[in-house]
Amino acid sequence: MKALQIAIKDTLTRFRDWKALAGMLAAPLIISALIGLAFGDLGGDEAPIENIPVVLVNLDEGELGQAYEEVLTSPDLSNLIALESMQDPEAAKARIEAGELRAVIVVPAGFSETVIPDAEGNRGQASVELYTDPAAEISPVIVRSIVERITAAINTTLLAGQVAGNQAAGYAPLLGPAMAQLGAAIQAELQSDSLNLEEPLLDLNVVSTGETGESVDPFAFFIPGMAVFFLMFSMFEGSRSILQEERHWTLQRLMTTPTPTWEIILGKMGGTFLTGLLQFTILMVSSTYLFGVDWGTSIIGLVVLVVLTVFAASGLGAMLTAFSRNENQAGVVGSAVSLVFGALGGSFFPTDGLTGIINIASKLTVNRWAMDGFLALTIQRQGLAGIQTPILVLASIGIVTFVLAILAFQKRFVK
Amino acid sequence: MTEMILQANNLHKQYDKVHAVQGISFDIQQGEIFSLLGPNGAGKTTTISMLSCLLSPTEGDALIDGHSVRTQANAVKQVIGVVPQEIALYPDLTARENLRFWGGMYNLSGARLKERVEETLEIAGLSDRANEKVETYSGGMKRRINIAVGLLHEPKVLFMDEPTVGIDPQSRRRILDTVLELNQRGLTVLYTTHYMEEAAELSRRIGIVDHGKLIALGTQDELTKLVGESDTVRIGISGVSDTQALLAALGALNGVHHAGLEEDELVLQATNANARLSQIIGAISAGGGQVKSIKVAEPNLEAVFLHLTGRALRD
Repeated sequence: MKALQIAIKDTLTRFRDWKALAGMLAAPLIISALIGLAFGDLGGDEAPIENIPVVLVNLDEGELGQAYEEVLTSPDLSNLIALESMQDPEAAKARIEAGELRAVIVVPAGFSETVIPDAEGNRGQASVELYTDPAAEISPVIVRSIVERITAAINTTLLAGQVAGNQAAGYAPLLGPAMAQLGAAIQAELQSDSLNLEEPLLDLNVVSTGETGESVDPFAFFIPGMAVFFLMFSMFEGSRSILQEERHWTLQRLMTTPTPTWEIILGKMGGTFLTGLLQFTILMVSSTYLFGVDWGTSIIGLVVLVVLTVFAASGLGAMLTAFSRNENQAGVVGSAVSLVFGALGGSFFPTDGLTGIINIASKLTVNRWAMDGFLALTIQRQGLAGIQTPILVLASIGIVTFVLAILAFQKRFVK
Repeated sequence: MTEMILQANNLHKQYDKVHAVQGISFDIQQGEIFSLLGPNGAGKTTTISMLSCLLSPTEGDALIDGHSVRTQANAVKQVIGVVPQEIALYPDLTARENLRFWGGMYNLSGARLKERVEETLEIAGLSDRANEKVETYSGGMKRRINIAVGLLHEPKVLFMDEPTVGIDPQSRRRILDTVLELNQRGLTVLYTTHYMEEAAELSRRIGIVDHGKLIALGTQDELTKLVGESDTVRIGISGVSDTQALLAALGALNGVHHAGLEEDELVLQATNANARLSQIIGAISAGGGQVKSIKVAEPNLEAVFLHLTGRALRD
């Protein structure tokens, strides 16, 4: 099939170009390494996640509910989470469904009274409930870590109080100083192993789907982010090669051979697709060895997601090139779209904190759906079933853009 | 009787406001080298593009080996080879890789493809450098591979669009010799050029194209007869203040049929020019000018073009 010969020729040409290779392979690895090393763990002080929208529903009128509230509103966490207070747990949970919140923490009524031992040392069991957004990848992990640290600190304080033989009334002086230091300590603790109390007095009941990780490997985020970002660039560049062939007259020469025009166009687009597939595969393999990136447990999910990400990106590149007036315009549009898509689509920072129109705009990018898929596989450890929406959206983008590109190129080149 | 391999009939190509080709018709016999001669922008490339099925004629048609360029493009593409004016090659690939790729596009494969790649490398004289990237080649070498691509599938007709543009005289000579050699092997060639000498050397019949029209067609003898016995006189001058008055004075001389100016050179068409040189120089001196050089040429294709259009071929 001549389309395949054209695709192989284009791929060979692209991979012989040192400049192109630097952009396709070296740049994403180097930038990911620099960012990853600079940020360390995503829960660290310089974590790029900010203002995670969280609601605290504190129905407890005692000291412990107050302690949660004080820690969550402490200045040390003020950049990380944007906390609101509500009284209706159901209304708060509805806001998660609406995509306005990433987490809701519910401290039930009578929590302090139940948990703090009475004069005889009797106490009951109670749970703090955490509801998280199943569509978000990283922020639930972070909020859960924070709540776990608060819970652990309270447990420690209660244990200390019990050891000291204090009565219920005596916990308040203990809680105050402990909680005062907790906000600052949480940032550091997010990177450490979780406290492992053998006999926790408080339970944390996490109600969400998806998140399992205790900490987030920065490379598991930045490598897919950079890979998708630079993939967009190389797909636009690859698509532009059809206009370069027109300028160099190789396209016209191809059209004087007994090869149908549609097959030439298909071959050119196939070459871009093949190049992207190789680029992404090389990035995945090299990042696994260089940075120890864990790409999840679903090989099938990963293969399907990579193929469809490249399909959508190359289709979009081809479509924008087909509708560009000339090679220069295609270059400018391609670079602009790559940058905007990278910024909006979560190649540089997690999209968990996005709300409103920015969130809608983010969902119009290939990067967003690709990143949703990759983070579901790598961080949430989901399988093919867990990335159904991203793969469906990416496949749709690919089909629509490829068809439009073929039609536009056909119209453009058949004179 | 020699078979016609190409018959172009009233070809037109109209763009929005430009009528690039206006009713061009000609025939090419099998085994012939036919040249289309004309200045840049005359419509030669557009004509070849229509014959190559790259552009669809606005009006008219052409039959190549009995197939219509309008309705049987795929059949036409099987029998034609195209050598575009541009170096239409992939610079990042070697010459051999380029030929293998283009051979594939012409439906060649396997042993046949390998054989044709080696044969065309031999024709281009580049077998020893076949594994070097085309980007490392000189202009002349690139031109030779450009021609080799057009020969891969052994076409019945080879279209060569200004194949010697921008190369050194040695490479040009080599290409012209290659064209003659291919023709001796039986290949029919449609050759476009704006170099009068190339058309004169290669072709028995020549079509002269200007402003999208075929303004003359015939053998060289038939064409030169159009200008009668006129010689072309080129005179380098300086110091003339009123060139229009000088041209009018020269045009009025007995036996001078045409007087024009190209940069600093007067170009005259005159019968028996050598005998009239003293009159011509006198008129220039009277106009305040000084003669720096004089060249007299007997009737040729350039004179024909000048005679037909009032302009030199290189304009």
